[in-house]
Amino acid sequence: MVLLALAGLALWMLDVSLSSANGFASLQEVFSSFWFKLLLWVLLAALAYHLVAGIRHLVMDLGIGESLRGGVLGARLVLIFTGILVIATGVWLWG
Amino acid sequence: MGVKPVTSLGRSGLSDWLIQRVSAVVILLYVVIMVGYLVTHPNLTYIDWAMLHQQFWVRLLTLATVLAIAAHAWIGIWAVLTDYVTVRLMGPVATPLRVVLQLAAIALILAYVVWAIDILWGV
Repeated sequence: MVLLALAGLALWMLDVSLSSANGFASLQEVFSSFWFKLLLWVLLAALAYHLVAGIRHLVMDLGIGESLRGGVLGARLVLIFTGILVIATGVWLWG
Repeated sequence: MGVKPVTSLGRSGLSDWLIQRVSAVVILLYVVIMVGYLVTHPNLTYIDWAMLHQQFWVRLLTLATVLAIAAHAWIGIWAVLTDYVTVRLMGPVATPLRVVLQLAAIALILAYVVWAIDILWGV
């Protein structure tokens, strides 16, 4: 549900940003708001986790990391990579 | 012949399984390309942004991604609903509730697809 909300927000941003130069400028205005950045950060964090966990799923489909030890290691790697992406996204939004 | 699911996208687990993986790769490709573009263009102007989205391959990739998200979300929501909104967990109310939730999700997903086409090719 969170990711469907993000898809809707992304479509809205694409719509406004491509509508006109004024629309693009108004979206830049929205982007300067702390609360909008926070909302975007939370939604992108959910997407980052989903993407990383999804890549792990595809890797396991290839037969890699299917043992008990591999599964534990994979789960830890997912959390570590997600953490890195979430921090990087925060730096990108506020940097 | 066994009973077939009527609200799943592909009407078969194997079909849904494959669609879910192909759509995942399309979405991942789009995210990587868009994030790459945005990170390398920190002072993006409207002209650059509009010109990017006027290119045929960008429109094609965006549309492919929206369709991939539609299929991916349909299958994902179906999987969650059939796991958790069940008669075993909730009693007899679960079946009509699950169908209503699934149809609501499909309606939202189809609205997104129409909206995306309107953004990409609308006047």
